[in-house]
Amino acid sequence: MIKKILVLLMLFTILVFFMITISDFNINTYTKDYLLENGYKETGSQNLITAVYLDYRLYDSIFEAGVLLVTVSGIIFMSKKDDEVL
Amino acid sequence: MKTSEILTTICKVLFPFVLSYGLYVIINGHISPGGGFQGGAILATAILINYLIGIHIVEDVGLLVKVEKYTFIVIMLLAFVSLFTRGELFTNFFSIQSSILQKRIFLILMNFFIGIKVATGLIAIFSTFIEEGE
Repeated sequence: MIKKILVLLMLFTILVFFMITISDFNINTYTKDYLLENGYKETGSQNLITAVYLDYRLYDSIFEAGVLLVTVSGIIFMSKKDDEVL
Repeated sequence: MKTSEILTTICKVLFPFVLSYGLYVIINGHISPGGGFQGGAILATAILINYLIGIHIVEDVGLLVKVEKYTFIVIMLLAFVSLFTRGELFTNFFSIQSSILQKRIFLILMNFFIGIKVATGLIAIFSTFIEEGE
């Protein structure tokens, strides 16, 4: 019983801190204005998320794909028996 | 494992629609919400539907991993082309003054390859799990 109360208290604390962080979050930044003005012209993408992850921050997407590749390799390595090595 | 006939029929009807919806999300990633990662996950779900009703589509997991590795190399090479054409690493390989239609070629190619890569990766993960479970 006391464990459940502790877990609830921890979750509540996380929630309160999360709400405080969100209410302090400043979204009127220079980057937002720049993307809204020049995003379509510079990248040719109407979807600004695609404009960010395929043009301005392409290295992030590449390493995100790399992380997936490493995950797949690890899972297949752990599932193989000793006698069948890739 | 015994599955009901309703589930089998619905899954067989749903399979081509989910496939075409995943391809639509990938190809239209630069116009509408979506993109390579999300569309690849939808494509993998289309394959996962077949495991629900007991059809084994994936025979060789090694082939899937091979496709994924080569697609990753193609993505890296496509991103490196901009070093020679534009002088910057990891960006569009058409210059910044070129028209919007030319720039979209790069976006569509990149979304397509990322979609294939994510789909093959997710299919490899869950088909390995299913093989282990049996």
